[in-house]
Amino acid sequence: MPETITQEIVVRAFDVIGSPLGVSSDDGQKVHDKIAPLLREGRKVSLSFDRIETIISAFLNAAIGQLYGEFPEEKIRELFSVKDMSPEDLALLKRVVDNAKLYFKNRPQFDQAWQEELGREE
Amino acid sequence: MIYKLGTIRSSHEGFEHLAQLWSDAALLFSRQLELDLSECEFFDANMAAPLGAVLALVADKFNRIEIVRVRPAIENVLRRNGFLTNYGYKAEEDSGRTTLPFARFQLDDERLFADYLKRQLEGKGIPRMTEGVGKVSQQSIFEVFQNSVTHSESRLGIFVCGQFYPHEQRLNITIADAGVGIRSKVRAYLGSEISSGDAICWALQGGNTTRTGRRPGGVGLKFLHDFVERNHGKMQIVSGDGFYEHGKGCGTLGLAELPGATVNLEIHTADTQSYRLDSEITAENIF
Repeated sequence: MPETITQEIVVRAFDVIGSPLGVSSDDGQKVHDKIAPLLREGRKVSLSFDRIETIISAFLNAAIGQLYGEFPEEKIRELFSVKDMSPEDLALLKRVVDNAKLYFKNRPQFDQAWQEELGREE
Repeated sequence: MIYKLGTIRSSHEGFEHLAQLWSDAALLFSRQLELDLSECEFFDANMAAPLGAVLALVADKFNRIEIVRVRPAIENVLRRNGFLTNYGYKAEEDSGRTTLPFARFQLDDERLFADYLKRQLEGKGIPRMTEGVGKVSQQSIFEVFQNSVTHSESRLGIFVCGQFYPHEQRLNITIADAGVGIRSKVRAYLGSEISSGDAICWALQGGNTTRTGRRPGGVGLKFLHDFVERNHGKMQIVSGDGFYEHGKGCGTLGLAELPGATVNLEIHTADTQSYRLDSEITAENIF
């Protein structure tokens, strides 16, 4: 029997990357490539970090951060969730998410502000 | 060419000496470099990483390298961490298991580096740390390595070496590459003639990244910076003629330039702080 669109699909990061270490952008990309098509279909997705021991920002930027360039924030909030993360990893994910929102909203402004800062020093 | 290398500590002066070595040896082609360590009175074991990067660049120009007249205490340290075995010296057993051996990884060796780190950190202070800081320490080291993988374009690889000091409860680990350096990446991105020191400072600002694609960046170095601050550790970043030290800011190394980029981290392993979020962030309200 086919799944209904309201059923949540659990994507297990460990199974996607085959390792307890989420320490590379390429592995993060593999996770992203599992999640994004499901979100595009309007499915609810929960990303499980069960058995993942270490993650870094580059992994999370590729896996989750880039979703903010592809989907509206509201869509991500509605359809996407994470589970089985330690409080330290949640703290890092919070940084990545906040940064990704700004990255896609204010990219040119970031660089303009720095150019002006350099101009003032010279 | 005979080059007398001075004392090499994890300091501005130590990096200056390595930059001077590169400055003098960069033009050698199909010759011999005899690195004379008779005037080197002390060598911080972790500094074998940037020395390894410099010597790899020299060797890449078909030069033969010999390391000679090494003082016994320094020879002992550099044989125990495996650095000198690359230059014909016999290996020495690290019976105290305090070294993170000198190792060279290619840019796609992320899994090998992960294995190395896991193997080497066991029994070297990290398990004695609280679970939180142990985890954040490892994350920090991976962040540095991944930063090199992403940005360095170092075809000669990434050089890693470290030393654990059990009595002082600190771990020093240095990751160096022989790539294009931070300044060239930031200049290309900003389109302005930024100095090496300013380029390092730019990269340390949260949100700043030379990435332009679909994957955001600009979190890793800020994460490192905040970790070092909280851990009361130490971080130095050296690239070109730029020198950054946490708490002292960005400045100039001197007249010579160190190729690629080197990050030196000192972690206090007795840290018992929590590295969780101060506020109530949960998986439900993070997005």
